[in-house]
Amino acid sequence: MGHGNYMSGEHRAEVEGIAVEKAPEDEQLVLAIASGDREAEGAFVLQYLPKVRAMLLARTRNPDLAADLQQDVMIEAICALRRGQVRDVAKLSSFVLGIARNILNSHFQSAVRRPATLEFPNELPDLATAIDSMVEQQEQSLVQRAISTLDTVDQSILQLTLVEGLKPGVIAQQLRLSPEVVRQKKVRATRKVVNLILKLSQNNSTTHFSERIVR
Amino acid sequence: MICTGSLADLKALPYVEGTLPASEVEQFEEHFFDCPACLVRLQAIQAVGRELARNPVASRREPEPRIRLGWPTWLWTAGAIAAVLLVCVFTYESLEARLAKPTVAQGPPKSIPQMQTAAQPAQPTATPVRISQLADMTLPVYSLPNLRGESLDAHFEAGMKEYAAGNCRGAIKALAMVPGESSEGRVAEFYSGACQRRMGNLASASQLLRKVADAGDSPQQEAALYSLAQIALTDNDPVTAHRYLLRTISLRGDLEQRARGQERRLTELIAQDKEAKGKNPEAK
Repeated sequence: MGHGNYMSGEHRAEVEGIAVEKAPEDEQLVLAIASGDREAEGAFVLQYLPKVRAMLLARTRNPDLAADLQQDVMIEAICALRRGQVRDVAKLSSFVLGIARNILNSHFQSAVRRPATLEFPNELPDLATAIDSMVEQQEQSLVQRAISTLDTVDQSILQLTLVEGLKPGVIAQQLRLSPEVVRQKKVRATRKVVNLILKLSQNNSTTHFSERIVR
Repeated sequence: MICTGSLADLKALPYVEGTLPASEVEQFEEHFFDCPACLVRLQAIQAVGRELARNPVASRREPEPRIRLGWPTWLWTAGAIAAVLLVCVFTYESLEARLAKPTVAQGPPKSIPQMQTAAQPAQPTATPVRISQLADMTLPVYSLPNLRGESLDAHFEAGMKEYAAGNCRGAIKALAMVPGESSEGRVAEFYSGACQRRMGNLASASQLLRKVADAGDSPQQEAALYSLAQIALTDNDPVTAHRYLLRTISLRGDLEQRARGQERRLTELIAQDKEAKGKNPEAK
């Protein structure tokens, strides 16, 4: 069974007209992994790793920690899928999200990153291949282009917000603007840069921002 | 239902910032795990953060170093004052010279038709009429997102369809049903206010728009302030209009230029009005 069988997000939207409904290929994935299909595990990683990574990155705000935890999440999810522990096959997303939240909570509660019960099964899909370095380079240059279209103040506001985690009031003091102006500029600059990234990525189907790849 | 990323437009940035309420965090996570459009928007914001961490913006607005030319500060200040005085004297003299020019060949001075003789009844000054004419009566633009179902309140969606079709009465009726605490509540108030203004119900419009403007940062705040200025203009209330225009300008958003233009014209009209009243005290 090839990856294409599990990655048909567009097909899902066309057939069901429901992008946020559980996909039939989730069900196929669950059944295939339970029956020992290693390719299905690869497809599962390709499909869920970006989501888990996005979630962990937002929650931890620490790329290194997020990268470590995402491995744990995927390993635990695959182990559970192999054992056929997913009760409702139509709720694979919720199942993976639940595992991610548990691992995150146990990390913060016990400060022990990896739970003792976590298995290390053989023949795990290579998680590294899910993030292709060429794709990352393309993504980087695309994002650089999008950021360069913003004026310097907007770039500074985004940097102080997204990188340094500062609140509008503090940014306002640094940039000698009013907090209201900072908030407005932040929202507008974000919308502008995101739209441009999506527009640019439409011409470049290999980047992560292409919805076809993400699904 | 097909989500086009509208939920991420609202929630992805606060989610990444860590300012989204806990209950909404879980809802948003459930959503983007199954919504490719919202996931890519979230990923794009995170990628911008990564890129800015890799290549920080060099030119922040740090306090600029003072240029020291060796002259004491008081000398610079005195020079600046002298320059301003010189410009003022020169402007005054050139104005005086222009006014003193003979006007024989040009016919009567332009100001004469505006002056009222004692025999004529004192007409009210034309300024209030012209101030209300400054008001921008266009409805704020709203483009319907393709987001349907769970993520958008059904009343809101129905109301905005009416709004997009130009049916203000229908829009107000539907938007009134949108729960105030929902994520569309504020947006509904804004567009209801815009509709009330269009229908001439200025008091209701002001009330709704003030709620949006005073609620703080939102995508509708700037447009609400601008709309309040338009209501004041329609009401021939230059002071309130001026105040709201200045608040609109201070946000430096999409409506800044339009508000600046109006503020300039309003200031001119007020000045003309004062001048006219000075020349003809009976018109006061």
